[in-house]
Amino acid sequence: MSGSDPVLSPSPLYWPVQRQRNRGVRALFCVVAAFVAIYAYLFPGLLSIGGLSKFCQSWFPLALVSMAQAILMLTGGINLAIGATVSLGAVIAATTMSGPLGAPGAIAAVAFAGLGIGAICGLIVVRLRLPAIIVTLAGSFIIGGMALLVLPRPGGEIPAWFSDFLAGGTPVAALLLALIVLAWKLYLATPLGLSLYAAGENPVAAYRSGVPVDAARIAAYAISGLLSTGAGLYVAAQTGSGDPVIGQAFTLNSIAAAVLGGVGFLGGHGTMRGAIAGSLLLSVMVNVMFFLGFPPVAQYVAQGLIIIGAVALPQIGARGRRA
Amino acid sequence: MLKSSLRAATSALCLSLLACIGFVSQADAAAKCIKGDRKPPFTLGWANIYSVPTWMKQTEGTIAAEVEDLKKQGLVSKLVITDAQGDANTQIQQIQSMIDANVDAIILIAGSSTAPARVIADACAKGIAIINFDSLVDTDQVTAKINTDSAQWGAGAAKWLIDSIGGKGKIIILNGPAGVSVSDDRRKGAEPVLKANPGVTILAETNTAYNVAPAQEAVSNLLFANPQIDGVLSLGGALSAGAVLAFDKQGRAQVPISGENARQFLELWKQKGLKGWATMQPNWLGAFAAYTAVQALSGKDVQAFVKVPLPVIDNSTIDSYLARADKFPADGYIYSPYDQALFDRLLAQK
Repeated sequence: MSGSDPVLSPSPLYWPVQRQRNRGVRALFCVVAAFVAIYAYLFPGLLSIGGLSKFCQSWFPLALVSMAQAILMLTGGINLAIGATVSLGAVIAATTMSGPLGAPGAIAAVAFAGLGIGAICGLIVVRLRLPAIIVTLAGSFIIGGMALLVLPRPGGEIPAWFSDFLAGGTPVAALLLALIVLAWKLYLATPLGLSLYAAGENPVAAYRSGVPVDAARIAAYAISGLLSTGAGLYVAAQTGSGDPVIGQAFTLNSIAAAVLGGVGFLGGHGTMRGAIAGSLLLSVMVNVMFFLGFPPVAQYVAQGLIIIGAVALPQIGARGRRA
Repeated sequence: MLKSSLRAATSALCLSLLACIGFVSQADAAAKCIKGDRKPPFTLGWANIYSVPTWMKQTEGTIAAEVEDLKKQGLVSKLVITDAQGDANTQIQQIQSMIDANVDAIILIAGSSTAPARVIADACAKGIAIINFDSLVDTDQVTAKINTDSAQWGAGAAKWLIDSIGGKGKIIILNGPAGVSVSDDRRKGAEPVLKANPGVTILAETNTAYNVAPAQEAVSNLLFANPQIDGVLSLGGALSAGAVLAFDKQGRAQVPISGENARQFLELWKQKGLKGWATMQPNWLGAFAAYTAVQALSGKDVQAFVKVPLPVIDNSTIDSYLARADKFPADGYIYSPYDQALFDRLLAQK
């Protein structure tokens, strides 16, 4: 296996393979780059440290949940509980951080909750062979209810220093995202990570080839949960408080970002870089439309058109290549 | 000797008093967040949380009309509108964009009572007037908050309902969505009144969006389960309309019900001869917020909290609302008339 290892031993095949994997998302990258350029043109302040930091802060949670969704979709699953899990992460952070255990305790609690919830969902889906869509839908009610039990109404408190550190005038969010992407690269080099695509593409063949399919899928659920509660922790820091329903919109947006990024519903197809680019497009679109002065109703229409366009472009490109 | 020192003391006292008054009036001269460096015509930002519900559309209508008025007076040049589509995170992002675009004032209905606090504090620090109405944010870093009293809303409805069922009986309670401050505060306001009347049994409570269809469905389910319901404590106008329709569909006799100035509810009330009570969260809070923003930017002092009184709609006043019904959307809210003089009166109240 080490011969084809994409990270640890850069072989002459590494860059050609990456180019191949980029093919599906190249058009999306161009669209995203164009939108970022338009945004920078309309709002030159984006190019300052402060402007860039603020933008990354609003994008970062969506990037995290898009990764959380993409990792499951790569295994052929889906997670409809992401929004509720973000809310739970946020309320756990907001209720524990000012407690006796402080920030480290809160971060540990958030991470533990995310990993635990994800692992339980994964165990149910994988061991009991139940459809992910049903399990995570039911999970979203349970987790959402738990968030309301922890904090029945918006409140709680995040210490100002913690908020200022993560969501102040510095690009900490961008740095964290870079670290998480690096961690993802490393994870793909581990046996579980390598199994991820195989388990999604053709689980039976993978199983017969000795790939730990079940373990790879359960691990994917756990990581998905961790990324989701992590996004919740960040939202809590960014807003300085907890809100038991703050995450609702993330479920649909995470699916939209992943699909925009070329991650298929059937598993095994797509890249994390695509999902992250998809989330960036969704996020930058909101700001571009604001600065273009679109009225809200036109924004709905424009949003839909941009999404269809971004998904259709690679298809049109592929057809052009075949012809 | 004594006289002169007395005189000195008096004049010192007078001086310090004057200084005090001077200081106070200087501090009071401008409302919070206002630095005085912004000149008319102003750009207003309207950071809406969700533009689809009819209540929101009507509210936006009053804002747009008020801005047209203010434009004619040369006070406002532009109204920027955003719609967060119900997502508090998007609303924060859009408020950030308004700060980046350097608008002069932001008026908002908050999608979360806590989440926008930090971005609002940023806006306030940049001298942008922040007027928050309807759904409020837990922060004092705003120029003014404008609202009716949600607790009083709930208490008034509960008191009337309990009186009208004779102080005892079985009731159901219809709430707005869980985890949302307005719905939570109305319910909290009702609590002490319910506690004080042990003869009243709460059969069940529902949490639905402020829409007719989900409320009707929820009440239908409760009707199947409960053969005897003596009253409905509804804490939202569309919820009441849904409840009345559910009772009607199942052929159950209507019971006393509280509610809001939703046109559908008021019309059903009249049509079915209901025993009803309603109040109003006026849509013109939006217009009032726009007006207040311009007042604050023009250097007038504005109170931190402007309380708008809740009217009572009962059998003696319902006709004055229904007489104007055709001017409002069928699924909209019939709000009371308003003008600038009313706004000035509300701003002047102590």
